[in-house]
Amino acid sequence: MKRLLLLFQIICWSILSVNGQNNNEEIRIIAIGAHPDDADIRFGGTAALFAEMGHKVKFLAITSGDAGHQNTGGGALARIRRNEANKAGEILGVEYEVLSNHDAELTPELHIRHDIIRKIREWEADIVVTHRPVDYHPDHRNTAILVQDAAYLVIVPNVVPDTPPLDTNPLFIYVEDHFQKPNPFKKDIAVIIDDVIEKKIDAMSAHNTQMFEWLPWTRGISLEEIPRDSQGKKKFLENELKRRFPEKKAFDEEGVQAIRKWYPSSSINRINHVEFFEICEYGRQPTDAEITKLFPMLKTKK
Amino acid sequence: MKNVIIIFLFLIIGFTTTAQEKENKPLRIIAIGAHPDDCDFKFGGTAALFSEMGHKVKFLTLTNGDAGHQNMGGGVLGNRRRKEANKAGKILGVEYEVLDNHDGELLPSLEVRNQVIRKIREWNADIVLGLRPNDYHPDHRNAGIIVQDAAYLVIVPNVAPDTPALKKNPVFFYMNDNFQKPYPFSRDVAVVIDKVMNKKIQALAAHESQMFEWGPWTNGVKTETIPENSEERLEWLNNKYNGRREFNQTELNAIKTWYPSLDISGVKNAEFFELCEYGYQPKKEELAQLFPMLNRKNN
Repeated sequence: MKRLLLLFQIICWSILSVNGQNNNEEIRIIAIGAHPDDADIRFGGTAALFAEMGHKVKFLAITSGDAGHQNTGGGALARIRRNEANKAGEILGVEYEVLSNHDAELTPELHIRHDIIRKIREWEADIVVTHRPVDYHPDHRNTAILVQDAAYLVIVPNVVPDTPPLDTNPLFIYVEDHFQKPNPFKKDIAVIIDDVIEKKIDAMSAHNTQMFEWLPWTRGISLEEIPRDSQGKKKFLENELKRRFPEKKAFDEEGVQAIRKWYPSSSINRINHVEFFEICEYGRQPTDAEITKLFPMLKTKK
Repeated sequence: MKNVIIIFLFLIIGFTTTAQEKENKPLRIIAIGAHPDDCDFKFGGTAALFSEMGHKVKFLTLTNGDAGHQNMGGGVLGNRRRKEANKAGKILGVEYEVLDNHDGELLPSLEVRNQVIRKIREWNADIVLGLRPNDYHPDHRNAGIIVQDAAYLVIVPNVAPDTPALKKNPVFFYMNDNFQKPYPFSRDVAVVIDKVMNKKIQALAAHESQMFEWGPWTNGVKTETIPENSEERLEWLNNKYNGRREFNQTELNAIKTWYPSLDISGVKNAEFFELCEYGYQPKKEELAQLFPMLNRKNN
């Protein structure tokens, strides 16, 4: 009997301590984009929320972005973009690393897959964020393939044996896009980012060469049309965000359902900015309860 | 007052000329296949219609087809097929270019991607047609990936900087296939080609090594059953391809959409195209401008 009690006590302790650990546990997120600014545009708000709650977020750009400009390029452009990325990272409270693979030339090669496996392991990631393998830019598609290929292999010790493997496969999620084939983006998780939208837009503004020079140029917008003062620039970017995902203004049915699911008591009409995520089938497959643990901002939002 | 009238006149003239320019400027189309004959099969009729209307069409094949024969191969076959392709191009009224990558070995490498980016730019294409990345031949799948990868990058000046970038992303389409996974071909555009079916058959016949030697061989057709003189060969090919396939429901629907006043029971041959999500996304009325043979007055 005494022994049974002791056993019972031990079990209680261990349950308590595991719970206790979970409550304080730091969540570690790595968001992997093709270019410096991709993670900011599609995950910047959620990243800022994680960071404000004390969790650790890292943005990793697989290419240096050295092709993304009409008047400059190569190493000179890459240096500018690395600086912009660091500035954006500071605003969001995340670490920003930019690899030196050439922009517009990314292919799903083993050595880059291995780099990504190392980065995910070194960050001890609980959540890995990336593009879907369908998107308008081949670098986005190839980044998605590379990150998908790292899922599972991050736990295999014989793969990249110089870097200790993770104990468990992280949760892999995709950022939103509007492509329909072979299947449309699925809004599995919704994160309301209205509280940090200023930060997100400031971080996007930090990518000055992209937001106010290159991207407008690709869309035939002349430089004169772009506001020069910071207030006007912010307004411009806010409109850009709405243009990119028009449903952000009036959410589509799937969006509304996703918001209701994760914020049951919220009133849709008062929500302006949401980031949606799709769960990748190749990583850990979480229950809804596990998702609220991994995305603690979902619990705190009234 | 006089001044105002003059300005007004100038404005009118300005408007009409831009409208005319828009209307008269020939469209520039480039169709990109893996082997010499791919574009002919899937786009030959529509290409002939474009060409007859004064638009500029180019066929580009990413391999020289140097593996497509049971008894010959290599550079000899590559050059034979290049000649056949040029002959077919003349019949359809299109330019035909055959790149020298090896048949059966096409990979979506950066080198080939950049070749394609240059060709699209040099042609100053409004429309690019490619294959879907699911098809029976790995060269077709890889050709599909390569063309998709060129979409968007054709407007990026830092990519292949030796060739000036296009100002605008062209509209990209896929040429028809019947594969179902991961999703079946979506017949976004249908073009009835009965008027030019003879030309298409003649263009196919120009690919002698394929139509009368290699193709039949892969299907177990005995050489003795294939006619030798060119008239009989044309008829043989005509029997094989002209109106021999019944349209399924999705094909019929696509034809009805684009030819609302046409008696469908009379249609024997059509070609179908799927809009690719990675190029410029045209509205429905823009689609009709891109395929001017679809305008009712031209039907």
